[in-house]
Amino acid sequence: MVKHSLIALGIILVAASGTLAKKEPAISATASKQKQLALVRVNVTGQSYDYFRPWQKKAPFSKRALGAVLSKGRVLVTADLVTNQNYVELERAESGEKTAANVQVIDYEANLALLEPVEKTFLDGITPLEITPDTVVGDRLAAWQLEPTGALLATEGLVTTVQMMPYPIDVGQFLTYRISIPMQYRENSYTVPLVKNNKLAGLLLRYDSRSQLVDAIPAPIITHFLKEAESQNYRGFPSAGFSFFPTRDPELREFAEEKGKGGGVYVTNVEPATPAMKAGLQVGDIVTAIGNHEIDQNGNYVDPLYGKIEFTNLLTAHAYAGDVVPFHIQRNGKPMQLNVTLEHRDAKDYVSPPYYLDQPPRYFVLGGLIFQELSRQYLKEWGPNWQREAPQRLVYFDHFQSELFPQRNRRIVILSQVLPANSTIGYDDLAYLTVTKVNGGEIKSLDDLAEAVKHPIEGFVKIETEEDPKQIELDATQVAAEAPELQENYGISSLQRLQ
Amino acid sequence: MNRIFVIGYAALLFASVSYAQESTPAPPPVEQQVPGQQSGASRSTPPGQAVVPVPVPIAPPKPNGPVQKSLVRITATSVEPDYRAPWNAGGLQRGVGAGFVISGNRIMTNAHVVANSRYITVERDGDPNKYPATVQFIANDCDLALITVPAPDFFKNMLPLKFGGIPALESTVSAYGYPIGGERMSVTTGIVSRVDFQLYTHSSVDQHLTIQISAQINPGNSGGPVMQDAKVVGVAFQGYSGDVAQGITYAKLQNPAQRKFLGLKDDDRGVLVSSVVAAGPSDGILRSGDVLLAIDGHPIASDANVEVEGERAQFEEVVERKFKGDSVKFDILRDKQPLTVTIKLYKPWPYSIQGHSYDVRPRYVLYGGLLFQPLDLDMLEAYRTSDLRLRHFFEYFILEQIYLQHPDVIVLSNILPDPINTYLAPYRGAIVDEVNGKKIRTLDELAQAFAQAPGQLVIRMIGDGPPLVLDRNKVEAARERIKTRYNVAKEQNLEERPASGAPAQANKI
Repeated sequence: MVKHSLIALGIILVAASGTLAKKEPAISATASKQKQLALVRVNVTGQSYDYFRPWQKKAPFSKRALGAVLSKGRVLVTADLVTNQNYVELERAESGEKTAANVQVIDYEANLALLEPVEKTFLDGITPLEITPDTVVGDRLAAWQLEPTGALLATEGLVTTVQMMPYPIDVGQFLTYRISIPMQYRENSYTVPLVKNNKLAGLLLRYDSRSQLVDAIPAPIITHFLKEAESQNYRGFPSAGFSFFPTRDPELREFAEEKGKGGGVYVTNVEPATPAMKAGLQVGDIVTAIGNHEIDQNGNYVDPLYGKIEFTNLLTAHAYAGDVVPFHIQRNGKPMQLNVTLEHRDAKDYVSPPYYLDQPPRYFVLGGLIFQELSRQYLKEWGPNWQREAPQRLVYFDHFQSELFPQRNRRIVILSQVLPANSTIGYDDLAYLTVTKVNGGEIKSLDDLAEAVKHPIEGFVKIETEEDPKQIELDATQVAAEAPELQENYGISSLQRLQ
Repeated sequence: MNRIFVIGYAALLFASVSYAQESTPAPPPVEQQVPGQQSGASRSTPPGQAVVPVPVPIAPPKPNGPVQKSLVRITATSVEPDYRAPWNAGGLQRGVGAGFVISGNRIMTNAHVVANSRYITVERDGDPNKYPATVQFIANDCDLALITVPAPDFFKNMLPLKFGGIPALESTVSAYGYPIGGERMSVTTGIVSRVDFQLYTHSSVDQHLTIQISAQINPGNSGGPVMQDAKVVGVAFQGYSGDVAQGITYAKLQNPAQRKFLGLKDDDRGVLVSSVVAAGPSDGILRSGDVLLAIDGHPIASDANVEVEGERAQFEEVVERKFKGDSVKFDILRDKQPLTVTIKLYKPWPYSIQGHSYDVRPRYVLYGGLLFQPLDLDMLEAYRTSDLRLRHFFEYFILEQIYLQHPDVIVLSNILPDPINTYLAPYRGAIVDEVNGKKIRTLDELAQAFAQAPGQLVIRMIGDGPPLVLDRNKVEAARERIKTRYNVAKEQNLEERPASGAPAQANKI
């Protein structure tokens, strides 16, 4: 996905304006009532992994939410809701009847998931929600919630902007509706469907109760997700792998040999092994159009529905992984066309994976030293303000990973903490060190480390770190002898998890 | 304020200088008893507020004498540089502190009392006059300064104080000064609760020996003497601890396996050299992985302590007592072989971006309304930036040896809006890497690159952002306009030259 570090402000400001509003007749709350609501309650219990004690899970959580019933017996919820779930249960609103459910498909980046009831007949009698993809600024949407009685609580709001925004996982940006709506708190307001004329227009992404603004995952993203989900092998949303900058600055335009008044964005970085690199895109190119859509100097194209919106929407909402998308570019003043075959970039294809969910974290314990691989998931263990509160050096590595590790073919192995034991006397204060070598062997993953510790130097395991103290030694025999006691004392079920 | 530190050894360092001078001229006559003053005896048992009993006093403390004959009140008017508009003189501030007379007609005080000062006056007890004073010498790293009063008779009736040693733990000391809440001298008494290395907040990078006492010290006490047995044992100031940067970093060697691996005996000696700063005095002499066994013959314990004059202190303490040009000898173990190396403390550390600077005007270059400044603590604090890259470059400037590539980390810190830079706001906070293909290492090089620029200037920033492109002709045409509109007196200041009338800086070792 393209990055926006420098330009975010400019782009967002512009993307919000100039939408071609096509007024729909306002709908009323009563009009959106149905006999059999296409809503079910979703009860989730789950446990997330404890990155500070990676061998264990945290205390269970439970969440109550709503799901939108779609065709073919599927229930749409946000990925947030069912992440790290142990058990998902569907509950009919009017009867209270329950059944277990499985997660069919989940997309963390787009924050969407599909559930299917174990009991196939569970949703019988419910008319599934259709999806309406044509919501524009000025439309009124109703947020559907349920009263404890099972009755519908519908609150209406106005779509104020349609723009590209980051989603919770923060991998690229996606199309988002922003709706001004005075929503009320209900116990199960986790996933709230937004409805226009009895058709699903979006799903609540986040709600700010002070400003009464809802950001919603829009129907075009939901449709994209559902279409992909039909295929056997869900790939996820595509990305191209380059960063860009507006070409408003006349000096930059001249530097890039863009003589006329044409539009386009300046390519500031092309990441190795990405679709953009494979297609031959270069730093300094100006991308002037994607397919038939011309890009202006701010990076917007004219969408038939929304008017001006950032061109990345063409690559996320409109295109699929595997699609060949023609990029029209200017290089040294000459027009060219590059055919970019889009791919989905998996979380595991990052040096510091942006998310690591529904799977246990990898770790390696050696005589009280705990080694882990850096991921944003680990940093998020510091809470909502992790970017300020997590160790800043690690935040820096994560944030600038494409710049610091352009080859991407590695992980960052950290000595995350030290459990006091006889073998670690004098090392108690060490934490958050990046491991460069173990027993002379270079460390680019925990697998490297697990292999390297098998070959001690004259009976010692020598660990080299990028930061001070630069080197740490352990007595290999002592480490092995003390392992059972260490496991017993600190309740470590297993000394490593590398799968 | 519950923690108070008193400079101990740093004061001694100065004391040795003054003794050296004292040996030639005859010491000034010492008037021990002055009629009308409190008798020394009544002072020896401090007044009611001294509630801290001293357990097992070896000898009753000697009276400190008529300290008001030594104490002065210092009022300094200073100009704080404005790092956000570095062409301006800065804001005026007035502060009050204490000082005390020592031999040679000098007054000792804290550097922070007189740093950045433009005008200083001194008052003494029982004299209505305010005497203008000048700074002779200022050492910001150890927060000490010497000032003098040119008025001929000022020192005539003053009593120079002498320096003592390091006070014992639990012994009683008295702090003298002019804290807020009154005009007259105040005394507080407390016991010595800790003697340790602490960060000096004045520069915020330097660690020196400090004596922590259990007495209330308020603003205005700063610079006042802390006394025991009629001798100065320290200078009052306040502080807290934090990170420091040194010429080498080391790790304690308390892990048995690590000791065995390094070929150390099963005793409790030695610390491991972790990093050696490439531009520091140990560069090329010590290496990462060396074990320091002794410093100038003092064995270094595995917790980095040495024994000096019966007190255990961190081994840097030995270096502390040296002056520029002195040498320090280390017994080391390298690849299990014993070796002796000598390090000459020949130059001050040139890259002090992590500390506060005083009595200097900020360096900057303003070009086309773009303000370029070298990254340092003062600048970072002025802009209150949370920029991850800037903070990283600041924090790891020494440990990642960033100074080798970027002795000045030049930041596009601010933009004075003008039609020629309308679209450049997103570059704010970026670090300059090269101009027209040439690496830029220092602010001087940047100024030169701007001066010699052909028609087009292409400034590459660190990271994968776009280049910043300027048209020289347009910049030239806008110069006067920007200067006038923003009242910019000077478009650049390249030298960290002393502000007018600033005293000589002490050399750091």
